[in-house]
Amino acid sequence: MTALDRSGALETILLQAEIERFFSLEAELLDERSFDEWLDLLHDDIRYWMPIARNARFDQPELEYTRAGREASWFDEGKETLRKRVLQIQSGDHWAEEPRSRTTHLVANVRVEAGEGADITAKSRFIVCAHRLEHDVDLFIGKRVDVLRRGTAGLKVLRRTIYLDQSVLLSRNLTTFF
Amino acid sequence: MKVSDFIDVEAGTLSREIFSSETIFQRELERVFAASWCFVGHTSQLARSGDFFLSRCGTEPVIVTRDERGALHVLLNTCRHRGMPACRYDAGNATGFTCSYHGWSYGLDGALVGVPKFKERYQGRLEREKWGLIPARVSVFHGSIWATFDETLPSFEDYLGPDLQFYLRALLQGPDGEDDGYEVIGGIVKWQVPCNWKFGAENFAGDHYHGYSHISVERLSVGLSGKTSRHNFAAVKTPRQAMSVADPQRGHTIRASVYKSLAAYDPQEGAPDEVNDYYRACHERRQRRLGDKARLLIHGGVIFPNTHFNSAGRTTIGLWLPLGAARTEVWRWLFVPRNAPTIVKDTLREYYLRYAGPGGMVEQDDMENWTAAQRGAESLVARKYPFNYQLAMGLARGARPDEWLGQEVTITEDVAEHNQRSFYAHWARRMAGGG
Repeated sequence: MTALDRSGALETILLQAEIERFFSLEAELLDERSFDEWLDLLHDDIRYWMPIARNARFDQPELEYTRAGREASWFDEGKETLRKRVLQIQSGDHWAEEPRSRTTHLVANVRVEAGEGADITAKSRFIVCAHRLEHDVDLFIGKRVDVLRRGTAGLKVLRRTIYLDQSVLLSRNLTTFF
Repeated sequence: MKVSDFIDVEAGTLSREIFSSETIFQRELERVFAASWCFVGHTSQLARSGDFFLSRCGTEPVIVTRDERGALHVLLNTCRHRGMPACRYDAGNATGFTCSYHGWSYGLDGALVGVPKFKERYQGRLEREKWGLIPARVSVFHGSIWATFDETLPSFEDYLGPDLQFYLRALLQGPDGEDDGYEVIGGIVKWQVPCNWKFGAENFAGDHYHGYSHISVERLSVGLSGKTSRHNFAAVKTPRQAMSVADPQRGHTIRASVYKSLAAYDPQEGAPDEVNDYYRACHERRQRRLGDKARLLIHGGVIFPNTHFNSAGRTTIGLWLPLGAARTEVWRWLFVPRNAPTIVKDTLREYYLRYAGPGGMVEQDDMENWTAAQRGAESLVARKYPFNYQLAMGLARGARPDEWLGQEVTITEDVAEHNQRSFYAHWARRMAGGG
């Protein structure tokens, strides 16, 4: 390896560490219910989209997830609606989260891809476990593709696409964030 | 088991056991679900020949298809040879279906068209015409597709009855009052709730009483205006009379309002101008088309037993699909006006997603409450104590003064458990073996 390659490798490692730290911080804020601080990590123009998985034929992979901006999905929204969801959870009378669920968000297999300009694309896997009341357990596992934008206030999530592996949702509610 | 042990129509009480007993659930499958016309989908899902999607008819898995000649079919999704699903893809376009076990293949109309070793080992004697996929009776009503495997049921129109034909047709009219005015947004929303299916059914049938459930979302205004309520009709200034409308002979129920007068369009403040322009034009066309009947606002309801819908600016149709006494799968079709501009479709889709289903800020609280109610229905001690359905009892009347509200329906104004009582009275008749 040449010196030039090594310096490139170092930058790659630093960027990798920065993105992983960012995702870990997000997960911690969510699990500590610091939702306002979590919202601060989202870009004002964020598109937060979680398509629905369908069982499709091998040669029709484009049918496997519902299409962006045209079809139904679990979530397809911007920051205003996300902020309303946070306010609802914080209100004390959103019964699906009152008393609140205990969540653990794990983000793993982070792969940082080359971005354009100030944008960085990162692929990852997630496990979100939510326990509520005495006996209820919800487990959500899937993949995420994020576009992060670097600005004067640091990294912000500009686009978050969440591919849940479940087709029929085996839980009654999606009251957590991904 | 005597059904009268579980329901007291006169007293307005209902045993908790009907929500928790597996014995009652098994009888429901036979006497309620198998003996009803069921919503299976919408013609907009089958635009082209060869289009198909999987659905449920009651609790039975079915394939809904459009064949080469354009005819619709609802076929039991089970191979006649060993019972495998003939189709395992949620939706698509195909020329037929081949079972993955021994390779029997079927046409879009369900006919058995291919049998491996037909000549060599069946000696060409297998009577293929007798071994097609089992077809359901199919009825298309203003774009909605209904099916049943019960040969003894009357036609779908008779099953609905004259009054519900009026309401279901109205529900399927676009915002401008045009018949069959909606199309399905791609992607059926499917999820599971650990509660009995009737908690969902009775809520959609006529629960105007549960505003408290939604107190948190009502504060946030998730409707189109973003300023008034979760309901778009909250922006309308004309006074209206809310009512529960029930067909006591058939178990169907409607939640509705009738406006005191025909008035000009009230905009959804904060919604894009194009959206308000569209709805204003529709509002005026609907009044011209329907006249006095344009005063009707359908909020939602239930076609007995498990087809439920919301209307009033958030047109969705869904199914409660019981998996057991204490677990239900919900399927929900989201509809947008067929001829609306893209911005209206987009605005509506985003509204539905923040309103309905497991990601919906409104319905999340319903699912939480039904799940908790299920625990209450399972308590051995509490089962000695029935549930109370006495809200606004004895106040029912016929369809006056607006006779177009129906000939056979009964109506109670304002908040009432009128529809729930009617739904369960019919449920009890069906469970006792009656029609």
